[in-house]
Amino acid sequence: MSARWILALTSWLAAAQGPGPLEQTARTASVMVDGDVCLRIETARSKSFATMKDPRDPWRNADNYDVDDEAFIRTKKTLMRLAKLCDSACDVNLWMPLASDPGRIQVVIRNVHEMSQFWPWGALNQEMPPEMKAVLTNGQRMTVRKKPGMISVLAPVYDSLGDIVGLVEVVSQTKPDPRENVK
Amino acid sequence: MKLSLCAALCGLWTIAAAGELTALADSMRFDASGMVIEAGASPPSRSIELEGARGGYVSCQVAVKLARPGGYRLSVDAFPVASGLETDVYREWLHWVPAAKRHYPDALIPVRTPYSGTLPDPDNRVAGQTAQAFWIDVWIPERARPGAYAVTVRLNGDGTESSMPLRVRVLPGAIPADDAVAIDHNSYGTSWFSSQYPKLALAPGFYDSEQFYELIHAYHRLFYEHRGVFHQLGYGHGGKVGPEFAPRLEGSGKTRRIADWTAYDRHYGPLFDGSAFARTRRGPRPVPFAYLPVNPEWPASFLWWGEAGYEREFVNVMSAMEGHFREKGWTQTRLELFFNHKKRYKGFPWDGDEARFARDYAYMKEYARLMRAAVPAGSPVKFVFRADVSWTMERQFRELAGVVNFWVCGGGMFSWYREALPALKQRGDIVWIYGGTPPVSEPLSHMATDPLRTWQMGVDGFVRWQTVDPGPDPWFQSNGGGETLVYPGDRFGVRGPLASIRLKAERNALQDLAVLKALGSREEAARRFNGTIPDEWWTARPAIADTDPDDWSNATIDDAEVRSPKFANIDADAWKRVREYAMRLAGEAH
Repeated sequence: MSARWILALTSWLAAAQGPGPLEQTARTASVMVDGDVCLRIETARSKSFATMKDPRDPWRNADNYDVDDEAFIRTKKTLMRLAKLCDSACDVNLWMPLASDPGRIQVVIRNVHEMSQFWPWGALNQEMPPEMKAVLTNGQRMTVRKKPGMISVLAPVYDSLGDIVGLVEVVSQTKPDPRENVK
Repeated sequence: MKLSLCAALCGLWTIAAAGELTALADSMRFDASGMVIEAGASPPSRSIELEGARGGYVSCQVAVKLARPGGYRLSVDAFPVASGLETDVYREWLHWVPAAKRHYPDALIPVRTPYSGTLPDPDNRVAGQTAQAFWIDVWIPERARPGAYAVTVRLNGDGTESSMPLRVRVLPGAIPADDAVAIDHNSYGTSWFSSQYPKLALAPGFYDSEQFYELIHAYHRLFYEHRGVFHQLGYGHGGKVGPEFAPRLEGSGKTRRIADWTAYDRHYGPLFDGSAFARTRRGPRPVPFAYLPVNPEWPASFLWWGEAGYEREFVNVMSAMEGHFREKGWTQTRLELFFNHKKRYKGFPWDGDEARFARDYAYMKEYARLMRAAVPAGSPVKFVFRADVSWTMERQFRELAGVVNFWVCGGGMFSWYREALPALKQRGDIVWIYGGTPPVSEPLSHMATDPLRTWQMGVDGFVRWQTVDPGPDPWFQSNGGGETLVYPGDRFGVRGPLASIRLKAERNALQDLAVLKALGSREEAARRFNGTIPDEWWTARPAIADTDPDDWSNATIDDAEVRSPKFANIDADAWKRVREYAMRLAGEAH
């Protein structure tokens, strides 16, 4: 069997596996990400600005966005470790619904590749995508292929009461662009 | 330099004579019918008389106007070789700006003369276009002998031939090589090459090719030739570093090391040793400033933040960088440790850029400590710690003294803190201010406002925060150009950026400022520009400055930034009056 055939077969097998490694990572994330710590990431002061609309200052909420360092760093390190479980470059992003407006959600932690199928660049918070709403409601992991060349697995994040308080987006790209998002 | 107007012929300028040539100074612009865009500006003339100091450019514009659609031929004679004077001619592109509902000229497409064109220009597609404008730069080398020189501009069109003289008086004075202020043109990464240069960048292997690095260097050259500084930030808000902006790393923890300098050296070597500028008229010089790729995720992984591994990775790599720069002799450029991330982009838990909350300062202090651990005392390599500041700048000036030594301050807010500047300068810090770029819909004279403000305030530089993003369709649906001063040359077969009229106006103002810094007074320049005195370029400390910045909003800041009404309507001739002063001084120099 020629090297070309071996390469083609390997690629086919990898594609056939689909979200396998991402699915495994997402499943592990549901176990490892501490929802109670996640709830402490955004400060109370910051939350009070989250949905504020100031006609004279469109950046009022973003300028007041703030986090608790310890909770952020602890969670981010967990997400970074989880990303090492993927077999190619991936990010594990943390998303949490807004307490003040359950119809909206915000990415709370992003990572080095800045990959996401859901985040419109720069949005502080955004309307809840139906896929995320489903995961937050029924606790089932979901594989999403919305953007060409990207695959995400969404998985719930639980607190100590057993409530779903957020979700992770484990996301990868078939052809990562080393210069994308360098901005 | 100045453009004298031939009063006797001025009345002819609105008459559509067959194959008519008219001229304008560099402070105004022609529209698609040969009329002047700038309100209240002097009308076009039928001759060109420029004067300029040695070691710089003088500029003017000519418009070809035809009574009926058809072809034309424009030529500009060459100056005698012995004079050293050289002429560059550019066709002015008319950009449709939907928000303003009109066309404005800005991009400059280099042409060789004689140049054959058609009106209306089929490429530019301006309905009813009856005039085509050209920008003419005349380079006066420092070796040029003072005196009068002249060539002829000729037009064949509508079956007739017309001409006008282009006279240049070279003054005894020379423009200092060093600028009065640094005007910086900022940008982010190189991913935009693929959309702006589809013919080049979509070719396989482009990002590893010589053409790629040549394109980067072409941007540096263009800004340098226009007396500007060019910055490209090489990492994103999540810490991803573009491959050409950093050496390639390998290993983790105590084994982390630099594995490959190839891409970094191809990118920065010619910039740090000046060879990228060897063929420029200003001559080779190392770039004065450059961002380092350092961010919370590079060279140390944020996974180890707060642990021994973070310090080991950071110190090992930065120490190796220092050694590499020293061995290469790259010791002229200030290498900026600069953090651009913001909490709102969710990558890291602190603001590197425009820190809002005081507890974030602790991170900057930690990075200063790490740099001290990495860089040997007395290193000839010029590392600087840059911070772009706004909300809490006054507090940062105090609390980050000895940590940050390069301040880039929001220009409006910095004007509240006049008392801070002497202390910053006393301790040797570099102080710049930042802001935007006047869009094409503003009078051209506004391009001089920020350079003049910088000089009036006594700070060292001004950053235009984004200068290479002309929007998705700059040619036919322009967003006004407030985030660009250059245009991609791709559609014209030029493998590099095109200058704009606004960039030329900025350059010519910088030349004048260099003369004024050497020979003139701030007071007279301010008076001529907009009838101000230097004090009026500062804002009296507002009441809000003594309240908690956590309570501020952009609206309350705007309310506090009350400026003299003399800045509200800067007229089209504002810089022309300053230039006349500068040229008088250059004419009197020996």
